[in-house]
Amino acid sequence: MSNAREKKHAKKMRNQPANVTLSSGFTAVDERGTKHHNGNEKSFQYQKQESCSGTPQHQQPKLTHVPSESCANEQPSKGQCKGEKGKGQAGWRGGHQGAAREIPKYITASTFAQARAAEINAMLKAVTQKSSNSLVFQTLPRHMRRRAMSHNVKRLPRRLREIAQKEAEKTEHHKKEYSKNKCRKARRCHLNLLLEFNRRQKKNVWLETHIWHAKRFHMVKKWGYCLGESPTIKSYRASYRAMTKHCLLQDLSYYCCLELNGKEEEILKALSRMCSIDTGLTFAAVHCLSGKRQGSLVLYRADKYPEEMLGPITFIWKPEDGTSTTPINRKLWLWTHPTLKQDILTELKIVCQCVQPPEATAFIPEVALTSHEEKIHIKQTENCKKRKRDDEEKNTNPVKKIVGDGTRNPFQPYSWTSSATGIVVSDLTMEMNRYRLIGPLSHSILTEALKTASVYTEVEDAETVLHSWWVETCKKPDSVSVHHRQEAIFELLGGIASPAEIPAGTILGLTVGDPRINLPQKKSKALLNIEKFQDNEKVRQLRLEGVPVECAHSFIWDQDICKSVTENKISEKELNQMRSELMVPGSQLNLGHRESKIPILLIQQPGKVTGEDRLGWGSGWDILLPKGWGMAFWIPFIYRGARVGGLKEGRIHSRYKGAPSIPDDFPDCPAGMLFAIEQENNLLEKYKRHPPAKRPNYVKHGTLSPFRCPWEQLTQDWESRITAQTESPISPHSSANGKSDSGRKKLCVVESEQEQKHETLKDKPEEAAEMMDTHSPDAAVTVDLKETGVCGNECGGTRAPFCVLRSRKLLKWLAAWCLPVGRRNQAAFRASRMHQPELTKATCLSILHEYPRFLVWVSLSLLKKGNPELHTMICIPSKDDFLHLNEDRLYCGPQESRHNDPFKAKARKQKEKRKTEKQQKPEGGVAPGPAGELHCTRACAEGAPGLWPGPLPDVTGHCSRTLLGFVTQGDFSLAAGCGEALGFVSLTGLLEMLSSQPADQRGLVLLRTPASLQYRFARIIIDI
Amino acid sequence: MAENGELWGAGEAELDPVEYTLRKRLPHRLPRRPNDIYVNMKTDFKAQLARCQKLLEGGGGGRGQGGCPEIYIHGLGLAINRAINIALQLQAGSFGALQVAANTSTVELVDELEPENNNREPLTRTRNNSAIHIRVFRVTPK
Repeated sequence: MSNAREKKHAKKMRNQPANVTLSSGFTAVDERGTKHHNGNEKSFQYQKQESCSGTPQHQQPKLTHVPSESCANEQPSKGQCKGEKGKGQAGWRGGHQGAAREIPKYITASTFAQARAAEINAMLKAVTQKSSNSLVFQTLPRHMRRRAMSHNVKRLPRRLREIAQKEAEKTEHHKKEYSKNKCRKARRCHLNLLLEFNRRQKKNVWLETHIWHAKRFHMVKKWGYCLGESPTIKSYRASYRAMTKHCLLQDLSYYCCLELNGKEEEILKALSRMCSIDTGLTFAAVHCLSGKRQGSLVLYRADKYPEEMLGPITFIWKPEDGTSTTPINRKLWLWTHPTLKQDILTELKIVCQCVQPPEATAFIPEVALTSHEEKIHIKQTENCKKRKRDDEEKNTNPVKKIVGDGTRNPFQPYSWTSSATGIVVSDLTMEMNRYRLIGPLSHSILTEALKTASVYTEVEDAETVLHSWWVETCKKPDSVSVHHRQEAIFELLGGIASPAEIPAGTILGLTVGDPRINLPQKKSKALLNIEKFQDNEKVRQLRLEGVPVECAHSFIWDQDICKSVTENKISEKELNQMRSELMVPGSQLNLGHRESKIPILLIQQPGKVTGEDRLGWGSGWDILLPKGWGMAFWIPFIYRGARVGGLKEGRIHSRYKGAPSIPDDFPDCPAGMLFAIEQENNLLEKYKRHPPAKRPNYVKHGTLSPFRCPWEQLTQDWESRITAQTESPISPHSSANGKSDSGRKKLCVVESEQEQKHETLKDKPEEAAEMMDTHSPDAAVTVDLKETGVCGNECGGTRAPFCVLRSRKLLKWLAAWCLPVGRRNQAAFRASRMHQPELTKATCLSILHEYPRFLVWVSLSLLKKGNPELHTMICIPSKDDFLHLNEDRLYCGPQESRHNDPFKAKARKQKEKRKTEKQQKPEGGVAPGPAGELHCTRACAEGAPGLWPGPLPDVTGHCSRTLLGFVTQGDFSLAAGCGEALGFVSLTGLLEMLSSQPADQRGLVLLRTPASLQYRFARIIIDI
Repeated sequence: MAENGELWGAGEAELDPVEYTLRKRLPHRLPRRPNDIYVNMKTDFKAQLARCQKLLEGGGGGRGQGGCPEIYIHGLGLAINRAINIALQLQAGSFGALQVAANTSTVELVDELEPENNNREPLTRTRNNSAIHIRVFRVTPK
C-alpha cells in the first residue's frame, strides 16, 4: 500500500467507533468470513433499512461515503437498499459473491441480534459524528451555496438544517458573553459605550484623540499608550510634503511632564549633578532660566557623566513674576519620552533627596485634590447608573469620561517632597495635551484656528462665575496689558512665512477663546495671507529678539486654573444644541461671556539647525493645552488643512532633521537597550517566518548580526585593534617612549580584564534571548528588564561598556576633521580661530586615552546610488577603492566576495549523521553522542540557517573592509534626493580612519546593507 | 530660496567662536506666488532654466494654457550671478519675445549666536546681502 493511501485510510478510520472495525478491501477477508458465519442477512437487512430511513436523510451522503465499502463487502444485499450507489459497485461486489455463497446452517438469534444492535449503534454514532472539521454549509457543493449561509440556517437545504442549527448553537457558545447580555442599541448607548471605553483603556492609556485616530490610523500599543503608527491612507510622500510646504499635525500628548517646584538655587544645584556643561547648555542657561526659551539637554545619572545616560529631555522654566522681588518658588517642567520617564523620575528623586512620598492630603493641597478627583472619576465609571440618579438630584454635571491618565492608581503618590531641599517633584503625565505643528503653514493655521480671549470690561453676572479666574485677571491692569501684548505678538505671527524665522525655542503664552466657536463649515485650507505681511519694526523685533519674557507667561502653569478650565468646558452636545437654536442656521455662535477661556502655551521648535543644508527644515510650534480640551483644538486644526501624522511620520521628521529619535537612537540609555532587544526579536521572528530559500543567508553575506548592532563588541574590537597596532611598531623604540608604552601596557592589562568582564556581561543578553524563545513574550520582556537592570548595575560597578560622545568641543573638532580639504578652507579658518589642533597621531592618542570605547553620532549621505537601511554597515574604504573612484566617475563601489557558510555544511553533515544513526538505531540502538546532540540543539536554537550561531568573532575584521559602525536610521531621503542615513561609528575607528586617509578624500566611507554584497560610497558628516 | 554664499564679514571679530556657535537663519520671505522663482546654487542650472521656460510657455502645466505673461527671478548673494544668467539666457532664446527688467535690493539676514556658556544670552546679528529681482515679461513683437 502506498504511503498516501495508508494515510487516507488512517484518516477514514479516525472517527470510527472502536467496536466496529471497518476494513478496506483485502484486509477484511477473514473478518468477513467470521461475520458471515453467524449472519442471516435477510432478516436483518430490513432492520437496517429501517434504521436508514429512520435517520434523517441528510446523513445519507456520509453513510454512503464512509462505511459503504465495508457494508458492500459484508452484506451484498445492502447495496440494493441504497439504490444507485450499490449499482455503481455492482461489478465489484460480484467478485465477492463467492464468499457469500456459503450460507451458515444456523445462527443464535440473541448473540446475532446483540452484535447487530451494537453495530447499528456504532453506525448511527458514526453518522451523527462529523468526520471533518468543516461546517455543514462548507460541505455543500459550490452551486448550492448561498450568501450568508452561516448566519441564516434557512438558506441551507432543509435536510442540513438540523445539523447546521446545532453547529450554530455551538459556535454561539464560543462567542463572547457580553454580546448576549445587551442588545446592540444598549451597547451603543453613550453611557455604556463610555464604560466600555474606560474599561478598554485601563491597560494602555488612550489619548484624548484616540477615537479620532483609531478610525484613521494603524494603532499600536506602545509604552503604555495606544498610539497611531501611521495613517491607513497612503501618505508617505504627502506627509513629507506637508512638513516641507504645508503643515503636519502630531499628537504628542503621550510625552510625560515632570514638574519641579522649589527654590531656584536648590533646583539648579540638584540638577547640575545630572548634566554637564560639556554637552551644551544646561538648566542654568540665562535665556532658559528666565523662562523665555525652551532648552534641551541630555540627562545622566548623578555624577556619572559621560557614562550612564538617562535620556534626552526638553525643559521650560516658568517665567518669574516681575512683581515680587523676594525669591519665590520657581517651577520647572521637564518633558520626557514615556520610556525614559521612570529612570529620570527615580534619579530626580534621588538628586532632590525626596525619598518619602508626602502625605497626599497634608503637603500639597492641589495635588491631593486632583488625586481625590481621580478617585471620583473612577468611582463614577464604576457605578455610572447609580450616579446618574444622584447627579440629577445634585444637579451637577456628571463627569463620566476619564480625563487624563486612567491607569493611574489614585492611591499611588505622584508627588514627592524633600524636607532637605524643599523641592517638590511631581508627575504631570497626561495632565496636559501637547500637539506639534510642523511646517511653514503652521503659523496661518494657528492664527486662523485660535482667537485670543476677549477681556471682560465691566460685567459680572451669573454667567461669568464659571470663569472667575479670568474675571480676576481682567481686573488687574497689568495682566490685561500682558494679555494684549500677547495678542499683538500672536497676530504678528500670521505675517511670518516660516516658524524658522523666529529664535529657537521661543515661548509664547496665550489665553484663547473656545476654538470650536469659529469652526469653518467645511474643511478648508489656511493659506498665507499676504495682507498680513508687513515688514515693520515689530516684525523685525520679533524675528531678532523673539517674544519678551512677560509674554511667555501663561495661566497653564497654574493647576487650579487648569482644573477649572477642564471642568467648565461646554460639552460638544451643548454646543451643538446651541448651534441648532441659532436664528440663522449656520451663522456664528456667540456665547458672550459664557465662552470658555483656555490658557495655552506655544513653544517654537527649531527644526534643523545643524549642518549646512535645509536649514530650518521641519520647524514648527508645539502647543500645550489643559487636559480635556484635546478634541476641541484638534478638529479646528484639521479643519484648517493640517495633515495628521503618527509615530512613523515623527521618525521621518527626526531623520530628515538629522536628530536622533527616542528611544531608537540612544543605545547607551536603558530604554534604548531594551528597544534594541525588542527590535532584534521582532526582526528575528520575521526572518524565521520565511523558508531558508526565501531569505538571505547572512553568513554568506558576511553579516554577523543583521538584527542588532553589537556596539559593545565593536568598541572593544576597535580598542584591541588599536592597542595591537600601536604595540607592534612602538616596541622597537620602547626606549624612546618607554614610559607611555608601559602605561599603555598597563592600560591594556586593565582593558583585557575588563573585556573578560564584558564578555560575561555580554553573554547575558544572549541567554535572555534564548530564554525568550522558550517563554511567552510577556515573560521574556520581564526577564529582559531584569537582565538589563542587572547589567546596568554591574556596569555601574566597573565601567560602562560603551558611551556615546556628546562633548561639544570634541565633536566640533571631529566635524572639522571629517571635511575634505577642498571644502575645509572656510572650516579651517574657523578652526584656527577656535584653537583647534590639527589631526595628528598624538592628538588622536590623547583623545583615545581620554575617551576609550565611545561612539559618535554621524550622518551619512551617499555619493551616488544606494539606499541605506536599518543596520547597514559602515566600513572603511581601502586604498584601491579610492583609486577606482578617482579613475572612474561612475564607479559605485567595491563588492564583498561571497563568504562560505561553514554552518550549513556542518548542519547538513549533522543531518546525514542523524539519518544514518536513525537507520542504525533499530539494529544497534546506539544513542547519539552528547556533543553532537548539543551542537545540534544549539544550531536549532539559534534559528537557524543563515544566521551566525554562537558568539560573534571579531566584528571589525570579518569582511574585506574594516567595519566602523552601523546605521540606525536610513532610507532614501525625499529632502536631499539621495540616500541618507544616520548612525553611530566607533570613535577609535573614526580617528584611525581619518588619520590614514588622504587629505582630499577624508570622510569617505563605504556602506553595505546586511543582505547585499555591494559597497556604496558615502560621506560622513558630523553636525554640531 | 537663495543660497547665502557670503563670506565671513569683518564685523564679528570681537566675538569669540569658543563662546558662541553661529547658526544662520533663513532670510525673511514673502509668500510665494506661482510666478516667483528663487534661484539657488544647489540645483542644476539647466533645470532652473527649464523651469523658467516652462512657466513662461505654460506647456507642461495643467491649467496654464498661455503660461505666465511675466515671471520674477530672485537671486540672493552668490546666486545673483546665476539669476542674471538665467534671465539673459531666457531673453536670448526667445528671439526678442521676452524683455527683462532688473531691480536690486538689500536683504537683511539674521545670524543667531548660540552661547556655549550658561552665563551668556544668545545674540542675534544682522547683516546685509544684495539681492536681485528680475522681471522677465513677454512683449508683442512688432
